[in-house]
Amino acid sequence: MFTPDEWQALRISLEVAARSVALSLPFAIAVAWLLARRPFFGRTLLDAAFHLPLVLPPVVVGYFLLLIFGSRGPIGAWLSEHFGLRLVFTTSGAALATAVMSFPLVVRAIRLSMENIDPGLEAAARTLGARGWDRFFSITLPLSLPGILAGGIVAFSASLGEFGAVITFVSNIPGETRTLSLALYTAIQTPDGDVAAVRIAALSVSLGLAGLLLSEWLARFARRRLGP
Amino acid sequence: MRTVSAPILAALAALTLALVSASAETAPPPPLTVFAAASLSDAVAELAARYERDTKRSVRLSFASTSTLARQIENGAGADVFLSADEEWMAYLDERRLIAAGTWIRPIGNRLVMVAPTDRARAVELSKGFDLLALLGDGRLSTGDPVHVPAGRYAQQALEYFSVWDIAEPRLTRAENVRTALALVERGEAPLGIVYATDARASKSVRVVAEFPAASHEAIRYSFAVVSGHDRGGARELLAQFTSPDALEVFGKYGFVIP
Repeated sequence: MFTPDEWQALRISLEVAARSVALSLPFAIAVAWLLARRPFFGRTLLDAAFHLPLVLPPVVVGYFLLLIFGSRGPIGAWLSEHFGLRLVFTTSGAALATAVMSFPLVVRAIRLSMENIDPGLEAAARTLGARGWDRFFSITLPLSLPGILAGGIVAFSASLGEFGAVITFVSNIPGETRTLSLALYTAIQTPDGDVAAVRIAALSVSLGLAGLLLSEWLARFARRRLGP
Repeated sequence: MRTVSAPILAALAALTLALVSASAETAPPPPLTVFAAASLSDAVAELAARYERDTKRSVRLSFASTSTLARQIENGAGADVFLSADEEWMAYLDERRLIAAGTWIRPIGNRLVMVAPTDRARAVELSKGFDLLALLGDGRLSTGDPVHVPAGRYAQQALEYFSVWDIAEPRLTRAENVRTALALVERGEAPLGIVYATDARASKSVRVVAEFPAASHEAIRYSFAVVSGHDRGGARELLAQFTSPDALEVFGKYGFVIP
């Protein structure tokens, strides 16, 4: 029903999305905690800066990534020299692009969750002698689990659909960076590619539906675990 | 909604009327829209500016890959004139009766070259089975996606001619248009690229390291035509301007081949 190229695009989409979530979650938890807990000078500015990918055209984000992480960019040159890590034209680069694009969504979800935690719980833990890291790992983190799950799922789905930042930063290479959206774009560009385009679109729809059902199930699971 | 008073409504109505009638009185002719292949960007921008200056009629330009533009026209984009980088996509539109009968012309051509970033450019000797892998190292060969971008298709033909297509295919960048392919070489993301001679000339950051002989690929002929349903209202005149001896001189200045 689907061609090997289409399965490959699906596999790359899933791989990019999974790596993108894995990359962004730790940073997102840290940033969300910073923004939710501690008022500090410049917090509003920092908050705005982290939201930029949400309001910038994805092509702008892709272009900045290319300037910074390209093989002649400051970080890109360093990564390639010291770790032999190349981002342009690679799946890792696609994961980075989608992670940057979906970062604000993850931070938002986790932050909302953290802000809803009763500060009394942490205060009580403190009076019982729990130190900072202990309080974070035994109270804050478990109680923000619904937000982390929701953020992760939103980031995963957003990564599946990302187009502009990916094509600008890592191009459209079959087997490396050609995700479902890019494969769909190529099919649309090709003379008489309509049949393929419809097939890929159908694949995207089923994937999206499966993702939504899974996220609903996970959300219920998390609610049950955390109790009323 | 009740708070909006009648006088304000009347004033708004009057203002609207005034604006409409004012624009009707002085109505300049609607702008002409030209869809042009990315490789034509500089020359066509210059010609359009010249046309606007001479006729006082504004021209809107949209540059993209020929395939993108052809698809947009197929789906009803309001282009007046289409300047395609190859014949295949023009034929595609012609079969669907989307270009005005008798307007399809092939006034200019181009050549295919291999480019490298200026600071790493070394001349490449093209011969059957030349060592492309050694030239690329761990980098990629930047060109348009041969599946739909004309420059990529010509590049595929040329690479097949030199029996290195099998090596090149997994290493292509498959850019969505030729100017994107060029940009990847300009920024040093790809050590080599295959673009048109005119693109190479337009950029200071790349240098030509080899020229593909004309025999190695189909003749590169641009196809110009008026989009069907748009052949009145100046589109034909614009196309005639774009193919006048003066215009051909401009194309020649940018390195296009005048057959």
